[in-house]
Amino acid sequence: MRKLERILHVAWNDLRIMVGDKVFFFWTLVFPLLFIVLFGLLFKASDNAPAVAELTVVNRDEGRWGAYFLGKIESPTVELKVVANEPAEYSRLIVLPADFSAKIEAKKDQALTFKKREDASTKAAARVETRLYQAIARVLSEIVLYGDGDLSKFLDGHPEFRDLVQVKTRFPENTVTVVPSGFDHSIPGTTIQFIMMMVIIYGGITVMEDRKKGVLSRMLFSPLSKGEVFQAKLLGRWFMGLVQALILFVVGKIFFKLNLGSVPLSLLVIAVFSLAMAALSVFIGSLCRKEDLIIGLAVLLANIFAGLGGCWWPSEIVPPGVRTAAMISPAYWAMDALHKLRFFQGGFGDIFLNLGVLAALAVVLGAVASRTFKIRD
Amino acid sequence: MRRLLLVLGNDVRRHLKSPLAIVIFLAIPMVMTALIGIIFAPRTEGPDLPPIRVLLVDNDKGLASKLFLGSFDVDQMKKMFQVTVTDEAEGGRRMEKGQASAMIIIPERFTLDLLEARTTTLTVVKNPAEQFLPDIAEEFLNTMAVMLSGVVQAFPDEARGIRALIDAPVGAIPWDKLGPELGRAQKKMVAAEKVLNPLLLGLKQEETKALGAKTRFTQRDLFSLLLPGMAIMFLLFVVQTIMRDIISEREDGTLRRMMTTPLRPLELVGARLVGGWVMGMAVLLVMVAFGTLIFRARWGNFAYFLALGAAASFWAAAFFGLFHALVRNRNQAGALSAPIILAFSLFGGSMMNPEAMPKAFRAVGIATPNRWFIDGAALVRDGTFPAESLLVLVGTGLILAALAIPALRRKTFI
Repeated sequence: MRKLERILHVAWNDLRIMVGDKVFFFWTLVFPLLFIVLFGLLFKASDNAPAVAELTVVNRDEGRWGAYFLGKIESPTVELKVVANEPAEYSRLIVLPADFSAKIEAKKDQALTFKKREDASTKAAARVETRLYQAIARVLSEIVLYGDGDLSKFLDGHPEFRDLVQVKTRFPENTVTVVPSGFDHSIPGTTIQFIMMMVIIYGGITVMEDRKKGVLSRMLFSPLSKGEVFQAKLLGRWFMGLVQALILFVVGKIFFKLNLGSVPLSLLVIAVFSLAMAALSVFIGSLCRKEDLIIGLAVLLANIFAGLGGCWWPSEIVPPGVRTAAMISPAYWAMDALHKLRFFQGGFGDIFLNLGVLAALAVVLGAVASRTFKIRD
Repeated sequence: MRRLLLVLGNDVRRHLKSPLAIVIFLAIPMVMTALIGIIFAPRTEGPDLPPIRVLLVDNDKGLASKLFLGSFDVDQMKKMFQVTVTDEAEGGRRMEKGQASAMIIIPERFTLDLLEARTTTLTVVKNPAEQFLPDIAEEFLNTMAVMLSGVVQAFPDEARGIRALIDAPVGAIPWDKLGPELGRAQKKMVAAEKVLNPLLLGLKQEETKALGAKTRFTQRDLFSLLLPGMAIMFLLFVVQTIMRDIISEREDGTLRRMMTTPLRPLELVGARLVGGWVMGMAVLLVMVAFGTLIFRARWGNFAYFLALGAAASFWAAAFFGLFHALVRNRNQAGALSAPIILAFSLFGGSMMNPEAMPKAFRAVGIATPNRWFIDGAALVRDGTFPAESLLVLVGTGLILAALAIPALRRKTFI
């Protein structure tokens, strides 16, 4: 019992020193918040906006079919902006040539030029494109239905297109009921990334400095053994990760209405993940003698793990090979577990494998770190 | 001057003796560029996105649903969608575990409703954890819905005929009277072919950058776009590592010993600033070499780029010179420098294309060297001299150097 108290005392002291450092707030709050806002707004934009996708139309048609075709494109989600000439600024643009009507009436095939700005919203472009294909399908169906008649008289009277097949969308049962916000995606990713960065950099550097300055040696004059010093350092870094996650989750809940699904299970995932990162930080801190080296390694590892693990972009858009390779990243297992909890209302059974992998990683890294842990250089 | 060069040469040799930190800072942009490049590079074959996993539940098992299922068998669709036919219970279970992007449910009586020209509804169940792929499946379904509606309306008599045939026993079908009906259908088919093959109305897509400027974005273009942002970010890391000597030597007592030699403080300060500048340039050139060899990145006119790199390195050396003159000790320098560089990189566009950022982030980005370097590199790539970027980097760099030199001189006083 006394032993545990001593370990907890040292770990708590490490945490206290860290929280007292002004830079701590940059790493745990300011910088992650910037990331959360940036990525949250980006995800939000791709989820919902633009609610109405704009399509610029250059209508040079000299007949009546141009206006009729545009009527077929119009929908609550697509706004048409008809102009006489191609403007310098647009996101999406379609050109109806002067002989648009003439070609249809002569039953001559034609392809309309549809231009998309590469830097405009991909989702809005896809929405407009789909709408264009649907409009073409509607017009062609009506022409087929009209038969062999004179197409110049088509617009004087013809059978109207009816949407006989309709499409209804929903989410799977026992999952979410409302569309997750951009922040529901960005906060877990940012939290995982910054636990890696902060615990490895801050935790690693302080282990190295304590060793170099002889703090670790002096601690041996207390009733602490080398093993207990190691455990205390590991525990202190674990606390750092937990504090970081708690701060971001609380801020997320208050300011961004973050929904984690099961809060206790989310915290359990974070706890096991932080333990693995704490072990990695002690290992790197024991191995390296230079601060820059620790920063470099931390930035390298955290970025690779975050990129592969789905902290920056949705893993669905990643090629299958990279998705398989992502399994080497601890961030992948943590993010996957948080997704199961948030988006699929998962329970302990659903994240058991994730927890097992992260716990195994924590044990392996902990064992390696304990072997490399040095009191003095 | 000779003494300045001696200190400079000695610094360079010292850093090259233990280059691991610099090597790691050089490796990071390469690894990050490779990772982003692999994930986002445009594919030469097939769609840019991975296959979309779609579960199909056919509760109809009729003619229309079979036709619908067949539409996924077209080569282009096969590349885009990875379809698994399943039942609703199993599909629901898999969707609840997020094992597919979307599940499409074809309702019972789908064929009969279509043939009877009644409204029918397809359901698409979307994976809530995914943000893009379920929407693509939904849009595809919307288009298919329009096409199916169109076919049924274009051939109403034939649809009614097929509907009658479905329920009638084989013996009750008046086969002898089907000839004229089939003849009429054939005429319609021939007429429809004129509209549908080739399509009377189609789309020709272009991706544009500016009026009349077409772009075909390749993997090489992506690497060329990413590398300058990564290069400036890690150039800042490397230069701050080198410039930290200023404070380390003071704390280690090296400075005290150096000041007992005929070396003047100004020469020492000059050597440190020029050292940071030269090492920054060297690191940038190594990154350019690796970027060209590994990623075949395009940098544009090399002389222009060299000038831009020299300006950015000078800026970094001057900035970190001033920074190390202002911080109290090595710990403070270490704790503050990484956040500053990361903030520069976040706002300046090293981590994300500035065009994709919110306006407020972009406005702050103007105050970072990253933004001016990235913008300048883009101009150089397009064959333009980056006059504005150079002016800003050199101008602000000179101001920083003017502030740094006296501040650093004070730091050399023992």
